[in-house]
Amino acid sequence: MNSPYICGPKPGSISSAKHILTLFRKDLLLEIRQQYTFYGVLLYVASTIFVLYLSMGGPESTVWKGLFWMMQLFICVNAVAKSFLQEGKGRLLYFYTIAGPKDFILSKLLFNALLMILMSLVSLGLFVLMLGNPMPNPLSFVAISCLGGISLSLVFTFLAAIAARAQQNAALMAILGFPLIIPQLLLLSKISNIAFEDVLQGGLATMSAVLLGLDAMIIALSLILFPFLWKD
Amino acid sequence: MIRQKWWKILCGVLLVYTFIAGFLGSVPAKPILNETIRNLYFHVAMWFAMMVLFTVSVIYSVRYLRTNNHKYDIYALEYTRGGIVFGILGFTTGSIWARWTWGAFWSSDPKQLGAVIALLIYLAYLVLRNSMTDMDKRARIGAVYNIFAFAMLMPTIWIIPRLMESLHPGGMGNPALDTHDIDARMRVVFWPGAVPGWTLLGVWITTLRIRLAILTEKKEDLHPAPNQARKLRNA
Amino acid sequence: MHKKIYKPLFTLLACLMAITLWAQPTGDTSKVEMADRFRADGKIYVVIAVLVTILLGLFIYVIRLDRKITKLEKDFNNK
Repeated sequence: MNSPYICGPKPGSISSAKHILTLFRKDLLLEIRQQYTFYGVLLYVASTIFVLYLSMGGPESTVWKGLFWMMQLFICVNAVAKSFLQEGKGRLLYFYTIAGPKDFILSKLLFNALLMILMSLVSLGLFVLMLGNPMPNPLSFVAISCLGGISLSLVFTFLAAIAARAQQNAALMAILGFPLIIPQLLLLSKISNIAFEDVLQGGLATMSAVLLGLDAMIIALSLILFPFLWKD
Repeated sequence: MIRQKWWKILCGVLLVYTFIAGFLGSVPAKPILNETIRNLYFHVAMWFAMMVLFTVSVIYSVRYLRTNNHKYDIYALEYTRGGIVFGILGFTTGSIWARWTWGAFWSSDPKQLGAVIALLIYLAYLVLRNSMTDMDKRARIGAVYNIFAFAMLMPTIWIIPRLMESLHPGGMGNPALDTHDIDARMRVVFWPGAVPGWTLLGVWITTLRIRLAILTEKKEDLHPAPNQARKLRNA
Repeated sequence: MHKKIYKPLFTLLACLMAITLWAQPTGDTSKVEMADRFRADGKIYVVIAVLVTILLGLFIYVIRLDRKITKLEKDFNNK
């Protein structure tokens, strides 16, 4: 009768939210302390864009758009790959036992989504700075690139979890991820037309809804499938 | 079910029917396509067979995760392999058909794109499995990826044609086959004959491979020769 | 025991053929060029004969493979 749950909050939603926040804070602290991802990816983005600038100057808007989303893809692989690959097996097992797989994957999804939003904004800034701004509506593109960053990070977070379990290898993640990410990239580059064209085509709202639906499906799949990945 | 005879005979009967009626039956006279419209019975049926085999594979992956029965992992793997074979056949025949009707082996048609994506996804599944040596781990992670990939593939196949159409306004100028082009004469060969016939053939060959894989494994349990047996199974 | 099964299957084949005949066109008036001459010559039967032979050959091959595996399984279970 002297269970700690009697006077405290019930286990379940509240404690799981706490777990997620704790794990999220752990990732954030680790990131702030090491600053590996942020500066590493920043340098990666800056040097790639600089090479692009040297080779083509200010490209026209379709090329600009295509390059931007391809950059996002590679940034995402680099930034997200670290989230599982950096942690040793023992440490992952420890997190798993104290927090449970669902909280763990949710905290990773949340952290990577925020990381990718930041990275998308930084690379958007660098793109505009170095390759020029071909967009009539840059503000709406800020929102779209955030949405894109979130969508990409969700898929690659789950694939990083798979790749980390299979083999500590980031190349495997790319092999698994590139075919799967095609629909999202196509959707994103269509939705980007909002920022690139003055006259809007119909159906863009539907496409955004489809993209959000895909994101929701990926989160649900991650929650269902991740516990099986982690079982040993 | 696997060892019963009736569905294998049914498969033979349906395919013989497809071959005979497919060439003797008359078809709608369409410009450009002309007689090649008969490819429908062979080429398009490959896609149906592929999708059925992939769907069965996912069902076995789910069953594997629920029961941890190693047999279901063999089922899932072999159904995927069967699906890939049919996918490659469908893709190749599609390219050949496209070359002589639309004018190029590759014309970035949404259906071609969807097919390539499906093939890449499932080839990645095989790569993923081969990257692990521990059997339990390979089975479990393979099953998780299989389910995830299948769930992503379905919306992809639904989304891509809608995006590509809007990329090429005015509708494709090419005589792509859709259900409106097939009239009753073709439907009676395609639906009862070609689709179930080719699908059953795929299932048949897959069950043979499954039985062979299970036999190999049993033999390995009796006379363990780990390295060689594993090599054989992965070949 | 399987003799019972052949009859309905071949009835099915016959029915399918009959449906095909019934679903023949009521006269194609379009001017699209089809291989009508080829058909009129009766050469189409040569093509069908070749294809059905290949198909049957493959079937026999798969059936023999099936039997072989069944035999292996039996041997194995008797051990």
